[in-house]
Order: sequence, then structure tokens, then C-alpha cells
Amino acid sequence: MDFEALSLTLRLALSTTLILLLIALPLAWWIASGKGVARAFVQALVALPLVLPPTVIGFYLLVALGPLTLPGRLLIRLLGHPLAFSFEGLLVGSILYSLPFAVQPLVAGFSAVDREYTEAAEGLGAKPWQVFLSVVLPMTRASLITSAVLAFTHTVGEFGVVLMLGGNIPGATRTLSISLYDLVEDGNYAAANQTALVLIVFSVLALMAIYLLPGMRRSDGRQANIVR
Amino acid sequence: MSANQPVSQPASILTLQMQHRIGALELDVALNLTQLWTVLFGPSGSGKTTVLRAVAGFVRPDAGRIMHGKTILMDHGARVFVPPHARPVRSAGQGAPLFPNLTVLQNIAYGVKSRHDGSAADIVENAVERFRLRALAPKSPLELSGGERQRVAVVRAATSAVSLGPGTLLLLDEPFTGLDLARQEELLGELRSWLAENGVPVLSVTHDVGEAFQLDAEVIRIADGKVAAQGPVTAVLADDRQRLMDQLRG
Repeated sequence: MDFEALSLTLRLALSTTLILLLIALPLAWWIASGKGVARAFVQALVALPLVLPPTVIGFYLLVALGPLTLPGRLLIRLLGHPLAFSFEGLLVGSILYSLPFAVQPLVAGFSAVDREYTEAAEGLGAKPWQVFLSVVLPMTRASLITSAVLAFTHTVGEFGVVLMLGGNIPGATRTLSISLYDLVEDGNYAAANQTALVLIVFSVLALMAIYLLPGMRRSDGRQANIVR
Repeated sequence: MSANQPVSQPASILTLQMQHRIGALELDVALNLTQLWTVLFGPSGSGKTTVLRAVAGFVRPDAGRIMHGKTILMDHGARVFVPPHARPVRSAGQGAPLFPNLTVLQNIAYGVKSRHDGSAADIVENAVERFRLRALAPKSPLELSGGERQRVAVVRAATSAVSLGPGTLLLLDEPFTGLDLARQEELLGELRSWLAENGVPVLSVTHDVGEAFQLDAEVIRIADGKVAAQGPVTAVLADDRQRLMDQLRG
């Protein structure tokens, strides 16, 4: 069991989740609060990592963050080293790769909040951000938790992007899934089995947490329709 | 309010002139509110709720202008549109839902504007006392009956309007529908006196003749998207009252 890889994986997944929520909350609210070509386009971009092979994302990020492009050169000058093959580079890749898993549950939750609730709040003088914080968010807690758990677990489980973008540097970019790959390459099946088991148990527990949200369900938008 | 005004020229609380198309209905309405309680009366589908929603800011009329006193709320020609929360208007839509994550008391306090002297809490306290909501106050909306929710939703909007100050226009869409007669009378009487004391004028929507007479309000009758008549309830709804009486006699 590679504990350095385990701690790195958890650190990466936690940072990714926190940053993703900051991005996903306003983005999902914007997507859910209207229609139009612009929203459809942004939604398509957000969903792209679902259909693309992770290696494609990894490859383009490798190029974009490297010395071949202007933003890449700026970054290298700013940081003093390329973003690729570093923890920060992995973070950028993970955020993009897990974006749909954070955004889509929120969009679904926000869309399910009946317009009657937001209008009731506006009719009482609440500003749009107050409506969001005091009415929409409390009614979509289940979506928020789902979004966070999915972003976290998906980041823990990513492989292709990490391999393309991060290489295999212990303590910096070697995550659990890479470590597992290494162990199998070396023929160390006993250790590989241990690592794989940790990942499976963790994933099952995390997913169970989502499905075990009974108290959350009642205040979810769809359920709250009973209150008239 | 109106007591200080010469009878011939009552101050205008709200002037509205709007055209709006919804489905097959062509709304073309012009009205002028001068009384403390005005009722929009008309059959369902006549467009009265749309007029109310336009005043609240939830509907953008295709054309027209809405003024609150001397303040423009919406002017299509001048491209002015004040968003709902910034209007000196508070509203309770038809069957307005309570927020399920808050208690009844927190619902009533939701739209109350905070004041520097701390009198906001007094207003909420006053409302709870006046409308006999003490027993319901700590409960969740999920524990309430339909009629109780309706009562709390109306009181919530009224409390918000009172806290914003005199002149705030309160919009109520079918506020008493679904309440039994005793409850309706109680709420209506209490509401009318509380709002009058605080100088809060009301524009409400109903299709109930009895309710309009109980309110003894100014009535604007809407039919097929147009204003058919405006005046005291005894004049505008005399025929409807007669028809109702005939029905009751059998």
C-alpha cells in the first residue's frame, strides 16, 4: 500500500472538490435559470469530459499548459516551472475532467425548484442572490451533496488525465490509480489487490452516502411541492 | 391617507396602462387605483392575474406603462423595467407556497425589512398576535393544513408590506379562496384594519362576489382582457349580487 499516493490522492480530490463547487454553483445556477443557444453551448462544453477519452483532455492540457502556447509560456514565466508534471497541473486537469459531475446534479436540482418558490421570495422583496441563498440552496441540499461526492470520487478514480498530464512522480503526481497500474506492471499482485480493494470500498461507501440521504430528500425541490 | 385628499381629486396610488398577449387573450387594460382596497374582479381566464403579475414585475407587458405614485415601475417606450425586488410592492401569488425549510414564524419574518431601531421584530410579533398564529409559529409548514398555509402566506406578504412602510402596494391573488367562511371573514376583517392603520393599499384578485361585497372595496371588473367597469362594489357588482341572491333563493 502506497500511503504517499493515498495522501496525495485525497489531497487532490479534496482541493478539486472545493474549487469545483465554487465554479459549479454559479455556473449551474446560470444554466438552470434560462434557455438559449449560449446556455446550450456552455452545457455541451461542460459535458464534454463525459464523452471524450480522458487521454484527449490530458493531451490538449499538456499542450495548452506547456511552452508551445502563449498561455502556457505565460504560466511558465509566472510559476517558474511548467504546470504539467506538477500537483497544480493535476489539479487543473482534475477540475476540468470532473466538471460535469459537479455541475449536472446542481443543474438538475436547481431546475426542479418550482418557480412559485422563487417568485414567492421575490414578491417579499428578496434580491436574486438572497433568493438563491435562502430558498434555492436549502431546497437543493441533496443535489449539493451529490455534486460534491461525485466530484470527489470521480477525481479519486481518474487515471488517463493524470497519466498524460502528471506522469508518475512520487509525492507530486503519483495517485492511487497510477500506483495500482505500477504495481501490476511490476507483477506485484498482492499489493495491487490491496490498493484496488481500498478504492472499491471507498467508492461503495461514498456512493452509499448519496443514496442514504433520507432527511435531505424532503427538502429537495420536487418533494417540497407538497407544501402549498 | 385618502381622508386628507379632496374627494374630487384622490391621489393616485397606481396607474397602469398595458397591452399584453397571452395565448389567445389580448389584454388591453388601463386602470387607476385611488382607494385603499381595490378588487380586480372577473371570471377565470379574463387576464386579472396577469395584470397583478405585471404590477409585481413577474410579467413584462408587450407595451404600456406602470406608475406607483410618481415612480415609474415599467415603461415600455422608455425601456424602463424595475425588477420585482426593487419595487415598492409586495405580493402573494395564488396559493403562494411557504418555504419548507423555515418555520411558520421564520416565513412571516422572511420579507420583513430590517430597521435600525429594531422595530422589525415588533411588526412580526404584532402580526403573530393579531392573526392568532401563536400556536402555529414554531411549526413547520409541512405540519399545517391547506387553509392554515394559505392564511400564513397572506399574513407573510402583509407583514412584509407593513415593514416596508406606508404606501407599499400589497398584491393578493385570490387570498381567501379555499378558506371556510368563518376563517375568511376573520382574516379579511383583521387584514383590512391592520393594513389601513399602516397606510398599505391593496390590489387583490377575486372571482367571488361575496368576497368583493365583504371587502366593501372599489371594484374593477375585467372581462375578455378589457376593463368593463370601475366603481364602488354596490354599483359595479349589483347585477352579480342579484343573480347570486336569486340562485340562493332557488
